[in-house]
Amino acid sequence: MIPIYITGSGVVSAIGVGKEATLAALQAGQTGVRKLKYLDSCHDELPVGEVQLSNHEMNQLMGVADDLRHTRTALMGRLALREALKEARLERDDLKAIPFISATTVGGMDRREAYYAQEAECDDVHAEISTHHCGSSTEMIAEPFGEFASMATLSTACSSATNALITGANMLRCGMADIVVVGGSESLSKFHLNGFNALMILDHEQCRPFDRDRAGLNLGEGAAYLVLETEASVKRRGVKPQFVLSGYGNACDAFHQTASSPDGEGAYLAMQEALQLAGLKPEDIQYINAHGTGTPNNDESESHAIQRVFGEHLPPVSSTKSFTGHTTSASGSIEAVFCLLALQHQFLLPNLNWHEPMEDGIIPVMEQKPQGEIRHILSNAFGFGGNDSSIILSKL
Amino acid sequence: MKKVFIQAAEQVSIQEPLSEQWMTEPLSYDEPLVKAQNPAFRDYMAANEARRMGGLMKRALVTTLKVLKETGIEHPDAIITGTCLGSLDYTERILDAMLENGEEALSPTHFMQSTHNTVGSALAIYTKTHGYNTTYSHGSISFDLTVQDAWMQMQLSKISTALVGGHDEMTEDYFSKLQQVGFVGVEGMVPCGEMAMSMMLNTDPSVDHLAELAGIRMSFRPSREQLQQQLDSLLGEADMTLADVSLVMTGMNGNPANDQLYKATLEMLFPDKPTMDYKRVFGENYTASALGLYAAAHLLKQKEDLKAILLLNQTETGDCSMMLIKK
Repeated sequence: MIPIYITGSGVVSAIGVGKEATLAALQAGQTGVRKLKYLDSCHDELPVGEVQLSNHEMNQLMGVADDLRHTRTALMGRLALREALKEARLERDDLKAIPFISATTVGGMDRREAYYAQEAECDDVHAEISTHHCGSSTEMIAEPFGEFASMATLSTACSSATNALITGANMLRCGMADIVVVGGSESLSKFHLNGFNALMILDHEQCRPFDRDRAGLNLGEGAAYLVLETEASVKRRGVKPQFVLSGYGNACDAFHQTASSPDGEGAYLAMQEALQLAGLKPEDIQYINAHGTGTPNNDESESHAIQRVFGEHLPPVSSTKSFTGHTTSASGSIEAVFCLLALQHQFLLPNLNWHEPMEDGIIPVMEQKPQGEIRHILSNAFGFGGNDSSIILSKL
Repeated sequence: MKKVFIQAAEQVSIQEPLSEQWMTEPLSYDEPLVKAQNPAFRDYMAANEARRMGGLMKRALVTTLKVLKETGIEHPDAIITGTCLGSLDYTERILDAMLENGEEALSPTHFMQSTHNTVGSALAIYTKTHGYNTTYSHGSISFDLTVQDAWMQMQLSKISTALVGGHDEMTEDYFSKLQQVGFVGVEGMVPCGEMAMSMMLNTDPSVDHLAELAGIRMSFRPSREQLQQQLDSLLGEADMTLADVSLVMTGMNGNPANDQLYKATLEMLFPDKPTMDYKRVFGENYTASALGLYAAAHLLKQKEDLKAILLLNQTETGDCSMMLIKK
C-alpha cells in the first residue's frame, strides 16, 4: 500500500477542546465523564461525557452568530475541523481539491427532538430543522471553511468515523484525490441516551472497561478530523508529516443487531485485515486502543478477538472510553487522535476505573510508561449490527 | 483499469415490485405521496421473521435475496448500503413515544433498528456475510457513494463482488415536512415514493450481466469547467466519445428548483442528446438515483439500439454525480 500520511488532526471531547487540553487530561488521568449538564434530559443519574461548552460558547469560539438550525454535532465538528485544517496548513482555496468525508448517526437529532412537539404546525425554519439528515451535518460542518471538492457521510453507528478514514484512504490509493479530510462528529441526544438506556447497557457509575464488575457504558460526545495525504502532495506542499495510517480493516460480525458474537469474529477479521494491509505482525504492535465500551458483552467479545489475533504477543491494551464516555459515531476519529498523541509523546493511554480482572479477559494497562518505543498502534471501533473496523497508526 | 459489471439489479418501488413491467406498463399516480408496492414477503422469508422487520428492511432484504439468487453469489465480498433517512418509521415512533411518555419506559426494539446501518448489517446477519460492510447516508447521493466505494475497492483488487443498494421509506409526517421545505409535493411534480434497490457489481467478465459500469465521478458545486473535465475523463477512461452515449438519464422531477440544475447541465454538456427522466416512472426519493442506475442497466440489456447511458444526479445542496454505463 502507498503511504497515507497524516498531516493534521483536531479533536473535541469531554476531556477538552483541542489537542493540547486533550493531551493534558490524558496524561493526568483526568476523566471528562461527569453529571449531565448540557443535554435537556431527566436522566441526570447517568454520568455522561459532555463537551464542556454550550452551543453558544462553541459559536463564540468559532466567531459565528447563533443559529437555531445549527446542530451540536455541527458545532463540535467545526471546532475539530478548524484545528485539523490549521495544523495541515490548508486554506480556503485548497479545499476545492479536497474531499470531505464525515461520519455521524445522530446527526441533527438534538434539534429535531427539541422541536418535535411543534412539528405538526411549524414554521419554515423548524421544517428545515426537522428535515436535516446525516448529510446535512456534514454540510453544516464544512460551511464556514469553504467548498470541498466533494462530500460524503458514513453512518455505521459506533464505527462510523473509522469507516470515514477507510473511505478516505481508499480515495487516495485510487488517485481520486491527493488530500482528504476524514473523521466524525456526534452530539448527545435524548433519542439515543434513552435508546441505550432502554437497552440497559448504560452504567449508572463511571464506566469500567474490562473490569469484572463492569456494568455498561457511559455515553459521550465529540468530534475529530484527520487530514490524510499522499507522498506526492506532502512533498509538493513541503509539509513534514509525523504519522502514517499504515493499515485498516472492515468486517462484519454478522451475528446480532446489538450484540457481538462470543468469539468476536468480526473484530478478529477487521484486526487481521488491518495487520495484513500494513504488512505487520502482531508482535509489531506496541499498544492496542480497544473499543472497550464497558458493556459486559463488548469487552468479553473484544477480549477474545484480541487474544485470537495476538496470542502470545499481546501488547498493552486499554480503552479510553473511561475518559470520554462512548462518543459513538465520532469515537473512531477521536480515539485515532488520542493514538497520535500517544505516538508523538510516547505514552500509553491508561484505562481508568479498572479493579478486578474479568474471567479470560484482557487485563488493561494502567501505566503510562511504555516498555520501549511505541511505533505502531492498533485502534478498534465496533458498531451496532457488527460493523467492525480497525486501523493501524504508525510513527514515522 | 479493472472492468466492473452490473450483474443483476432488482427493485421494490411505486412500480410493480421485482419486475421490469414498468418498461411496458408503468403504473401512474396522481397522489403526491405513494407508498411502495410491496411484494409477497412470505415468498422470501418466514412469517415470524417478517413480523420482526419494518417495511424498509423487508423490502431491502427481498431485493437482496433475489439478486443473490439470480447471481448465485451467497456471500458477496462487500455489502455497501445507501440510505438517507434510514429507519424513519421507527425513528418517529421513538420520538412519538418520548412525546407521550416522556423519557420513561421506552421500548428498546425500535431503537435497535433505528440506526442507519441497520439495513446493511441486517443483510449481512441474514446472509451470514462477514466481508466489508458499510453504510452511506448523504442526502440524494447516498446510493452513488456506494457505487463509488465498490468501484474503488475493485480497482484496488480488494474485492471482486459487491452488493450495493439504495433504500428509503417515507412517512406521512416526514412527507409533510419535506413538502414544506419544497423537496417534494410541489405543484407539477412527480410523486414522492418509497424504494429498495439491490444490485450486484462483479469484476468477472465471464458472468452474464446487464451492463458494464464504465465509471463514476462525484463532486460538490462543480464549475462548468469541472463538469466538462469530469465528462471528458469518464469518456476517455472508457475509450469512448460523446457520440457513443445514446441517452442521458436525469433526475428531473417537475420541481423547477430541481430541474433547472439539470437543464443547465444538459444545455452545456449534452445539447443534442435524448434524455430520460427516470423519476417520472419511479417518483422522487433520496435514494432514487439507485432506481436510475437500475433502470439504465435493464434498458441497456433490453434495447438493441442503446449503446451507452450517462446518468446525471444533481441536488439543490450542490452534490453532483455522473455515472457512465455501456453494453
